[in-house]
Amino acid sequence: MRKLLVAVAAAALALSACSSGGGAGSDGNVTITFWDNNGGPAREPIYKELISRFEAANPTIKVEYVGIPSASVQQKYDTAIAGGETPDVGGVTTSYLAHLVGQEALAPLDDRINGGPLKDKLLPSLVETVRQTAPDGKLYLVPSSANMDIIWYRTDWFQAAGIEPPKTWDEFVTAAEKLTDTAANKYGYTIRGGAGSVFQLITEAYSYSGVDNFFKDGRSTLGDEANAELVDKVAKLYKKATPEADVNNSFTQMIAQFTGGSVAMMHHNLGSYSDVTKALGDKVAAIPLPVGPGGKRTVVPNPTDGFAVFNNSEKQDAAWKFAEFLTSVESNSYWNEKVGQIPANTDVRSAEWIDKAAHVKMALGVLEDPATVLVPAPVYLPQYSSITKTDSEPQYQKVLLGELSAQQFLDDMAEKLTEAQKEWEDRK
Amino acid sequence: MTETLGKTDTLVREIAGTTHAPPPPTRRRRRAVAEEPGKPWMIHVPLVLYLLFTLIPFYWMLVFAVRPAGSTQLVPWPISFEHFDTVWNDIGFGVFFYNSVVMGLGVLVFVTVLSVMGGYALARFKFRGQRVFLLAMLCSQFIPGAMMLIPLFVIFKGLGLLNSITGLVIAEVAFQLPLSLILMAGFIRNISVELEEAAMVDGCSRLRAFFAVVLPQLKPALVAVGSFAFIGAWNNFLFALMFATRQDKFTLPVGLSYTLGEFNTDFGALAAGGVVAAVPVVLVFAVVQRFLVQGLSAGAVKG
Repeated sequence: MRKLLVAVAAAALALSACSSGGGAGSDGNVTITFWDNNGGPAREPIYKELISRFEAANPTIKVEYVGIPSASVQQKYDTAIAGGETPDVGGVTTSYLAHLVGQEALAPLDDRINGGPLKDKLLPSLVETVRQTAPDGKLYLVPSSANMDIIWYRTDWFQAAGIEPPKTWDEFVTAAEKLTDTAANKYGYTIRGGAGSVFQLITEAYSYSGVDNFFKDGRSTLGDEANAELVDKVAKLYKKATPEADVNNSFTQMIAQFTGGSVAMMHHNLGSYSDVTKALGDKVAAIPLPVGPGGKRTVVPNPTDGFAVFNNSEKQDAAWKFAEFLTSVESNSYWNEKVGQIPANTDVRSAEWIDKAAHVKMALGVLEDPATVLVPAPVYLPQYSSITKTDSEPQYQKVLLGELSAQQFLDDMAEKLTEAQKEWEDRK
Repeated sequence: MTETLGKTDTLVREIAGTTHAPPPPTRRRRRAVAEEPGKPWMIHVPLVLYLLFTLIPFYWMLVFAVRPAGSTQLVPWPISFEHFDTVWNDIGFGVFFYNSVVMGLGVLVFVTVLSVMGGYALARFKFRGQRVFLLAMLCSQFIPGAMMLIPLFVIFKGLGLLNSITGLVIAEVAFQLPLSLILMAGFIRNISVELEEAAMVDGCSRLRAFFAVVLPQLKPALVAVGSFAFIGAWNNFLFALMFATRQDKFTLPVGLSYTLGEFNTDFGALAAGGVVAAVPVVLVFAVVQRFLVQGLSAGAVKG
C-alpha cells in the first residue's frame, strides 16, 4: 500500500514537472488559448475556419478560441495581466500596445519574425508603426492588417457635375462647394463634429501641412500654422457645404447621412466599406485624403491590428506558430478579404481579390508608396485619448460655430500633448 | 433603522391603497379626494403617457428582433424568427442563458438563506460590536465592484474558481449580502417579539418558533430580497466578463456585448438577444409584484 502511494506521488510529481516545464502533455499535445480582441458573430466564423486549417496542419496543437467584446478588451487584458492569467496568444492593436508592453506582458517577436518565413514579408510601414508604439522600439506584435483614413465619394454626383475627384485640399473645397445644393438638401461634405471628431481632424491637418513628425525637439507640431490653415478651411465649409447638424455628428450619424444620399463626400476609413457599399453599391468609391500645397503625402496611420505572444505563456513556441500561421500568405489573404482591410503580408498583394477591392488596392498603394511619410500619433501617451477626446472635442465644436480660432484650438491641444510627451520621456 | 423602515412601510401601504388606519385627513388630502371622481383624465393621461414612454423602447427592441434583416417596417409582418435562431444557436445564447439561470438561482438561494440567518441575529440578539458590524456592512456598499476586480481575480485564480459559475455566485453573493442583510434585519425587527416569546412559552424551541412564527410573516421580505438578488445576478456584467475566459462560461450580459463589433453590429441579433435577456426579468416581476404589495400590507397588519 505504501509503495503504491509513493509510486502515485512520484508519478504525479513527474507529470506536474513535465507539464510546467515543457508546456506539453505526456503525449506531446498542447492546447493554446487565443483571444480575439474584436470578438463577435461577424469575425468568429473567420477565425474558426483559420483555426481548423491550423489544427489540420499541426495535429499536436489545439487552439481554444475566446472572443472578447471589443469594448472591454483592454480592461480584460489588464485584469488578466494583474492576475497572471493571460492567454498564450491574442489579438492586440497599437492603440493599447504601449500599455501592455509597459506591464511587461508581451514577448518581443523580432527574432522570431526574422528567423522564419515572415522575414521581409511584412508591409514596412506597418512594422514601423508597431515599432514606434513600443517604448523600446521592439516588435511586440506581428502586424496582420491595417486600416486607413480615406474619403468616400459619390461617383454619380461627380460625374453629373463633370468634375474629377479631388487630389488636393483646395480642389476638395471647390468640389464640396460645387456639389452643394441646400435647396435640394444636397451637401458636398459632412463634417464629423461629435464623438471621434478630433482624431479625424488631426489626420486631415497633417495630410495638408506635410509636417512629417508629431513632435519636434519634444514639442508637439500640432499648432503648426499650416495645420491651422486646414482646420480653418474645414470649419469654413460648415453650414456652407455641409448639413448644419454636423456639429454633433458621430460616426453613426455621419454614415447615415452619407448612405442616406444627401452628402457627396465623407471622411472615414476602410471599416465603413460594408455599410457604404450595401447602401450605395457601385455609386461609391474611395480616394486617399487630399494633399496640401506642398504636394507631399503624409499619413497619420490608424491603429494597426496584429497578434502578440504573451510573456506568461508556457507554450510560447506553439503560440508563435499560430500567430505566424495567421499572418501567412493564405491566412492573411483570407482574413483581410473577409473584413476588407489592408493585408500586412506583402505577398497578398498579388491575390486576385485585391484587384477587385478597389478601395483596398488604393489604400495599399498609398502605404506602399515610398514617397508616403507616416506620422504616427502618440497613442502611447496615457493622456492621449483624454486630451484629444474629452478636452478637445467640445473645443472643436466651438471652432465650427466660430467661437474659437483654429490656431488657438490647436495651440491649446499642442500644449497639453507636449506636456504629456515630456512626462513620458522623463519616465522612460 | 426600524424607524425608517416603519416609515417606508406606511408609504408602501399608502401607495398600494390598502391603508388600514388612514391618517386623519388634512385639508389638502380632502381636496384631492374630492377632485378624484370628477376628472379621471388627470390620472389616466399622464399614466398612459408614462406607459408609452416606458414601453416604446421595448417595442423598438421587439420590432428589430422579429423583422428580417434590412426591413424597415414599423409593424413587422410576417414575423421572422431568424435573429432568434442566430443568437440562440450560432452565437450561443442557449449556453449563456443556461449559465445565467444557474447563476441567478444560486445567488438567489444563498443571499436569501444567509440574509435570513444573519438578519435574525442582527434583529434579535445584542452582541459586542453590533453597531460596528452594521457600519462595516454599510461601508462595504461604497466600494465599487471594479476596484475589487483584480484582488478577487487573484484570489479566485488561487482557488481555481475562474471559469466557473460557482466563482461567479460567490462573488455576487458577497456583493449583495450586506444590503440584503440590513434589509432583512429591518423586516425581522418589525415582527413582534411577543409572538415568538408566546410560542416559546408554549414549548417551542427558538428554532421551532422561528420556523412557525417568524418565517411565515417574512414571506414578503423573502420575495423582495430574493427577486432583487436574482435580478442583480442576472444583470451583472463586470464579474462575468472578467472571471470567465472560456466562451462556454459567458452569461447573457457578456453575450449581448459580444454581439457589438467594432466595425459591424448586427442590430437584429442584438435586439433578439435583448429580448431573450429581458423576458425572464419581466416574468419575475410580473409574478412577484403581487406578492410584494399584498405581502407587505398583510405582514404589516399582523405587526
